[in-house]
Amino acid sequence: MVMTDGRTGRRLDPDRVASPAPGADDGGEGDPSASPDVLARVGAIALTGLDGAAVGAEAAVGGGLPQIKIVGLPDATVREAADRIRLACQRSGFDLPDTKVVVNLAPAGLRKEGSGFDLPVALAVLVASRQLAPAAVRGVVARGELGLDGRLRGTPGTLPAATAAQRHDPDTVFVVAEEVADEAALVTGLEVVGVSSVRHAVEVLAGRVPRPPTPRPPDPVRRVVPDLADVRGQSLARRGLEIAAAGGHHVLMMGPPGCGKSMLARRLPGILPELTPAEALEVAAIASIVGGRADDLSVTPPFRDPHHATSTAGLIGGGTGVARPGELSRAHCGVLFLDEVLETPRSTLDALREPLEQGRIVLVRSRSRVTYPARVQLVAAANPCPCGHAGSTTRPCRCRPDQVQRYRSRLSGPLLDRIDLHLELQPVTEDVLVGPSDGEPTATVAARVAAARHRAAERWPSDPAAAEARLTRDVPARVVRATVSRVTQARLARAVESLGWSARTFDRCLRVARTIADLDEVDRVVDEHVDEAVAYRLDTEGRA
Amino acid sequence: MSRGSGPPGRGDGEDHATNDRDPWEAVAALGTDPAMLAAVVRRAAVDRPGLAAHWRRLVADEVAMAVAVRELAAAPVLEVGPGDGQARTWRREGVVVALAGDPGMPDRLVRHGVAPPWLALRGPIEASVGPAVAIVGARRATGYGTGVAAWLAEEAAQAGVRVVSGGAVGIDAAAHTAALGRAGGTTVVLGCGHDVAYPRPHAREGGLFARVLDAGGAVLSEGLPGDPPRAHRVRARNRLVAALADAIVVVEGGARSGSLVTAGWGADLGIPVLAVPGDVRAPGSAASHQLLREGAAVCTGPPDLLAVVLEAAQDGRDLDHRGGVDDPAGLGTSGLPGWLHDRLVAAWPRPVPVARLVEEGGSGSGPVLAALTRAQVAGTVTRDVDGVRLCRRPPDA
Ligand SMILES: [Zn+2]
Repeated sequence: MVMTDGRTGRRLDPDRVASPAPGADDGGEGDPSASPDVLARVGAIALTGLDGAAVGAEAAVGGGLPQIKIVGLPDATVREAADRIRLACQRSGFDLPDTKVVVNLAPAGLRKEGSGFDLPVALAVLVASRQLAPAAVRGVVARGELGLDGRLRGTPGTLPAATAAQRHDPDTVFVVAEEVADEAALVTGLEVVGVSSVRHAVEVLAGRVPRPPTPRPPDPVRRVVPDLADVRGQSLARRGLEIAAAGGHHVLMMGPPGCGKSMLARRLPGILPELTPAEALEVAAIASIVGGRADDLSVTPPFRDPHHATSTAGLIGGGTGVARPGELSRAHCGVLFLDEVLETPRSTLDALREPLEQGRIVLVRSRSRVTYPARVQLVAAANPCPCGHAGSTTRPCRCRPDQVQRYRSRLSGPLLDRIDLHLELQPVTEDVLVGPSDGEPTATVAARVAAARHRAAERWPSDPAAAEARLTRDVPARVVRATVSRVTQARLARAVESLGWSARTFDRCLRVARTIADLDEVDRVVDEHVDEAVAYRLDTEGRA
Repeated sequence: MSRGSGPPGRGDGEDHATNDRDPWEAVAALGTDPAMLAAVVRRAAVDRPGLAAHWRRLVADEVAMAVAVRELAAAPVLEVGPGDGQARTWRREGVVVALAGDPGMPDRLVRHGVAPPWLALRGPIEASVGPAVAIVGARRATGYGTGVAAWLAEEAAQAGVRVVSGGAVGIDAAAHTAALGRAGGTTVVLGCGHDVAYPRPHAREGGLFARVLDAGGAVLSEGLPGDPPRAHRVRARNRLVAALADAIVVVEGGARSGSLVTAGWGADLGIPVLAVPGDVRAPGSAASHQLLREGAAVCTGPPDLLAVVLEAAQDGRDLDHRGGVDDPAGLGTSGLPGWLHDRLVAAWPRPVPVARLVEEGGSGSGPVLAALTRAQVAGTVTRDVDGVRLCRRPPDA
């Protein structure tokens, strides 16, 4: 780490000393009387959700009492940064002018949030006060929070900010805190400069100390997902999960407590295809916003299992100011497991429906509108009745019929109607428990899933909007129908009708049948596929 | 069973008198034609003094009623149907209303002297002629109970006997469902108004009631629009279930089961009562066992039931009372693979959970599931939350 003392910092290279920018705009629109001396501009990124917009921090030294004034729709955090930046600069040995410095974050119409603007504002002030040459910050996008001692800390959203910086200008020099430099380096081709303090940043940009090279981005990692081989019995659930993985179908697992619903759900990410680099980046970007930083770049689909008492905001995203991603978006490209789904308030479930259909969630707040990706595979689990033992062969159900009925009736609804596969599970019997472990390992199943997905991807025209292979789950019903013979469709229609199911069920069964055929490695959906698909429907009307 | 030991609260007038709601208010809210209601009240006064007392109390005198009639006349919903002026349509629900004396009022109710002043009917009016059996029991039913109910209902309906029940969850639903689409058909007698969604899963779109109607069955109610399923009304409803049948079989029920009310009405009206023996340890067997003690006939399968119906059915229609029991084509071939069929035969009439069957199927869940679907569509097995069971009694069980 290179630390120069305050005195060296003031011995500036004459070539790099800024000269007043002729005809520059008045950067201090908050104080029109201030007559600008030097106008400097340092790049920054304003994040709204995952979307970053290029912002310029323009500083000008004007008349008035000594202070730094930040204008241009800053939020409270950004406004309060002024004093911190002032102190940080002074303690780092810089001389701040004895007059007012106005910093405008332009464009002014865009809301700026968070402490990531400390560094660009500080650099702009230092350029305006002739302690850094304007040329030194050309092409620089800076991001980071300053401590009172001038030390630089990483802020949430480094990865999406870096992505935006590169998109804005591929030649950007992205200056961030050392601690998050490797996260920024995940963006291929972006020059990342990790610095430890504002002083360090100035020394590097002024060319007085060597510029730290762009860190090597962390290697993609595989997270440990429990193996299906550990699961004894549960043939129905295994088959169901395999179909779900192959077609991306949402799943409902119903069974008494302890029958292994959660154990099975946790193994689903293992049989899903690994994330593409773009997907992995998206997932990491969301983690970066939520957790402050993306710890690594995982190619394993995420698995999120929020408790049923999680608030709607916690689930779909929310919060004050710019809404933050919820569990839903954290499960993007992976699995969202809702255990005891019938305990989840109806309003919360209903809020999930639209994002689940659209693969993204739009959160509207009074002053902002954020979109987060939310392409998840839903695994919902429920007990068959309030006490959990209805249908159990080992323990009697203690619920009143109307209780069971009310409970069951919650199974139908806008969200649960989107679930293609229903699996009724039973606890594993003792002889299976003590018998040989004969379960197929995750790797074997994953290979079949990958092959089936490949078949499906070749068939479905890719969605121009999504620019990625569509899952059978998301393919419009008429497109699925067009791939199935009339005779087979008629067979399914007869079955659906004779079982008294609604017409909506038809397409859901057909989709599942389509996926079963893909797993079967045939293009033609045949009777056997349709018949099996029908068996994955639970009567959600609470009959009998 | 002695009349004295009959269940309490099946008297008619007293039950209605406990109603604390002014039906005129409900009628006004729903916009029912008050002239129609006035007619109901007048007829009730003549035909059924007991029931009419209730109505009279609500409409203190003719003058008050006339005022009410005028006030309510603004928004009629009930229409006098085209043609003979006898079929009146409850426009909102597609309900036909029969008043006492109308042809739409089932003969059996009149004959037994239990006809309500007003009967609102969905489905064909003829649905209450021909041999019929009431299959009743608890809402909190076991897999055994629903299995036996479905078996009895299916065999009865197959033999041309109508299955009548109360449309509740549990035994009632199992019986109605099993009879769907079979010769005898099925009739639901509601314990609430037609426009009251109860039980909710049955009343909803595509629910049991819709399926009954689709299959040509009928849904009846003596309730007014908006009448909630209060206990007294549900008990009173049971007299209609009893009176619409040639025999009553109680499948499963606790010591205070409403099926005892139905059986009590059967005894009062001279309709044979049968009971299905249950597990002696199970509280859900209490009703059946009490009835057996009191002299109800034992029912161990469709032949027991059909023999009684055949004898009691007044139109003396020639029933195939053996049903499918001896029909080798109907039973030995569930269309299932041998082991699967054998497994269901061994469990019969108890259901086997699907997951269990798949587990026992060894390699390949798909074929087992596909076979179950085929059998389910063919109607040889039924599937519900408890699992899969053979619809009809296997000859070797
Ligand atoms: Zn229970």
